Amino acid sequence: MTLADPATLRTRVEETGLLWGLVGLVALLSLLPIGRLIVEGLAPSGQLSATALGKVMASPATWTATWNSLTTAIAGTILATLIGGTVALLATLTDIRARNAFTFCFVLPLMIAPQVTALAWLQLFGPSSTLLKLIGTAPPLGSRNPLYSREGIILLLGLQYAPLVFLTLRAGLRALPKELIEAGLAAGASPLTVLRTVVLPLMTPPLVAGIALCFVSSLGNFGIPAFLGIPGNFLVLPTLIYQRLAGLGPGVLSEVAILSLLIGLIAMAGILMQDVMLRRRDFRITTTSSAARPFELGRWRRPVEIGLWAFAILVLAMPFLGLLSTSLIPAFGVPLNAKTATLANYAYVLFEHAASKRAFVNSFLMSAGAATLIVLICVPLGYFIVWKKSRALRLLNLAAELPYAMPGVVLAIAAILLFLKPLPVLNVSLYNTIWIIVFAYLARFLVLGLRPVISGYLQIDRTLEEAAQIAGAGLPRRLVTIIFPLVAPAAVAGALLVFLTAFNELTVSALLWSSGAETLGVVVFSFEQGGDSTYASALAAVTVLVTVGLMASTSLFAQKLPQGVLPWRD
Amino acid sequence: MTAAAALLAAAPAFAQAPSGKLVLYTSQPEKDAAQTTAAFKKAYPNVEIEIFRSGTTEIMGKLAAEISAGQPGADVLLIADAASMEILKGQKQLLAYPGARTDGLQPGSFDADKTYFGSKLITTGIAYNTAAKEKPTSWTDLDKPSYKGQIAMPSPLYSGAAAIMLSTMTARPDLGWKLFEGLKANEAVAVRGNGAVLKSVATGEKAYGVLVDFMAYNAKKQGSPIEFVFPKEGAPAVTEPVAIVKTTKNEAAAKAFVDFILSDDGQKLALAMGYIPAKPSIGSPAWLPAGTKINVMASDIAAVVKATEADKVRFATMFGN
Repeated sequence: MTLADPATLRTRVEETGLLWGLVGLVALLSLLPIGRLIVEGLAPSGQLSATALGKVMASPATWTATWNSLTTAIAGTILATLIGGTVALLATLTDIRARNAFTFCFVLPLMIAPQVTALAWLQLFGPSSTLLKLIGTAPPLGSRNPLYSREGIILLLGLQYAPLVFLTLRAGLRALPKELIEAGLAAGASPLTVLRTVVLPLMTPPLVAGIALCFVSSLGNFGIPAFLGIPGNFLVLPTLIYQRLAGLGPGVLSEVAILSLLIGLIAMAGILMQDVMLRRRDFRITTTSSAARPFELGRWRRPVEIGLWAFAILVLAMPFLGLLSTSLIPAFGVPLNAKTATLANYAYVLFEHAASKRAFVNSFLMSAGAATLIVLICVPLGYFIVWKKSRALRLLNLAAELPYAMPGVVLAIAAILLFLKPLPVLNVSLYNTIWIIVFAYLARFLVLGLRPVISGYLQIDRTLEEAAQIAGAGLPRRLVTIIFPLVAPAAVAGALLVFLTAFNELTVSALLWSSGAETLGVVVFSFEQGGDSTYASALAAVTVLVTVGLMASTSLFAQKLPQGVLPWRD
Repeated sequence: MTAAAALLAAAPAFAQAPSGKLVLYTSQPEKDAAQTTAAFKKAYPNVEIEIFRSGTTEIMGKLAAEISAGQPGADVLLIADAASMEILKGQKQLLAYPGARTDGLQPGSFDADKTYFGSKLITTGIAYNTAAKEKPTSWTDLDKPSYKGQIAMPSPLYSGAAAIMLSTMTARPDLGWKLFEGLKANEAVAVRGNGAVLKSVATGEKAYGVLVDFMAYNAKKQGSPIEFVFPKEGAPAVTEPVAIVKTTKNEAAAKAFVDFILSDDGQKLALAMGYIPAKPSIGSPAWLPAGTKINVMASDIAAVVKATEADKVRFATMFGN
């Protein structure tokens, strides 16, 4: 090849342009907010000073919270992996019935915000349990709630994030060629041996991606440790940060910035471990779909089905019924029965309260917009990271974890520091518009879209794309016609994760919303804080129902979509 | 003379009627904040009021970030407690308003330097579930063995009102840290905020709770099985103060907002929302049994601000595991 070859030259220019465009974009989304925080931590008000750093490092509370963060995040991740992994294997590789319905139900808990899950479980176990009162087995007044503990936090983190592992692993399992399993079984190996020697080794990338997502999510979770940890003064880093903000003295911002960077470092260590685990082997597989269910359960089918459904109903129905029963009573502590049940709370949030109505539109548009943009960024990004092994982007890939791992409140503060003044050159101000929230969503949730896409690339054989390149197709064309269809299942799983998480988030928008740019999370939080939990529950319940409706309606035209695009459909 | 000129001559006050944009940061509950701004708009139709509503913690965080970037976004603040205001005052972020009408306000409810002014009185007392065995009347009742394992209280680490309560009560010789040691021995649980205490008590998870007055009474009105007492040693109070931010670009409108909150109309609005107004002459809310003389526990705000950090740490260590 010589430089004189115009086609090659054009291709080079296209690739380089796209590559540096992506580098700039990811740096803007991840490095910029982090950089601004580092400046705040080390040089508050423009002068270098190590006082904040020294204060944070010398405080025993910092290290207790760090230890608590590590233990709950690791144990919660192990629990989520065991649950999500087992369920994904059973639901994808065996011949259980009603698989679509089950998958749908298992993914749903991701739709319920962590603080709602926490409240629901607390109510469930306490003497206050509307449900237990209904069946007359509520514990006596004043019993201690067992969930107020380290173990309680681990349990709920595990349940909350099991669907993350499930979704990423399932996207990988769908691409597993059935011939491999059948060959193993035909050679006389037991199903368990095949699982251990064929399936799991090939499933390392999606499994590790799911585990990494789980770990980072648990580390940054605020809702669960806030509700379950505060009563026992069991603090993790995100709750410690919130407390520091509450105690607001001068210089607190620099301390908060440093504590957030500490969370970021732990998250990065987790992601580096993931890289090490994936570096050693080759995981590529050639086919893209396998509809066959190689493992027949035989007489075990019914017990397995009953077990799976019982679990899904426990994890999904419990919090949701708790939410529903609270939303139907006129006030707390009123028993739910035919006489007391009321729809007044729903009427108020749906018809009377202007901000709730606006929030639905805002949250939907912002979440859908963020999900779409993130997929558009992640597909070419994954291509350069995995197939082109671009060094600059591999490093940025690490940086992208930070905005997701740190508490939302801190990312919001970074966004305020960045965008308070009008943008230089353009002279437009993003502050107090929806765009500052969209920016924060893109920065925070990029990782959620990127992890599944990267694991998708690790699984796909490059031959098709290389053939197209030799035939002279430029990169943009290859991306649209070959690469995107190949990674579509993983990409859509990522988009879905982004949408569900953004639709429910509260901590980012709590500081960034403004009149007219409310999000659902902000309105629910406002009700909750003023003691109007019945309104909060009603609004949260409507949120869940709307999302279920959306997911179900996408299933209607599933036939028209490429196979494997909808994570909850076969 | 045209009609318009006649009007102007007749009403000189209108000549300098405030106008333009005014940004309010408030921690009032959703419904109350909407009512406050609507009433203010009615009184000053030329002012365009914009609002940001969140918890006091979030508001202080947002303000700190804005101050750090050199441009506070709020013109006026209406937040839960005087201690947060005192911190801002210490950072020289508040504008004094010597011309504010403080006559008729509860003594001690506003800052002597006229930088922030209490708008109402929110006291903290003891709420109990109607199924509870005991009827508490004093703070020290909570230390009795019969209350063991039955008490919820708001954590001072999250609630501004609870932080003020802690520093006010521990400074009193008759209560002091002894009271909290007793609570600790009685396995009292510190939950996240007042909303969580209300839930705990109304639903019977705990029989007794340290709680703000209006929340207990509003829940009772809606049918929750809950009762409320003002303990005989007195009830610590927060005042939901209003203040002007020093960097305001619309001083006239900001002053108008303070005037409105302290005016009889503004005080009647607080009463209509179910709060005890800062002006005793306005009356008291319907839920307050007639003739109740609330014994408000005096707080030395400057001392509270000084003590609060150390008190919070001590509280956290004490109720830790």
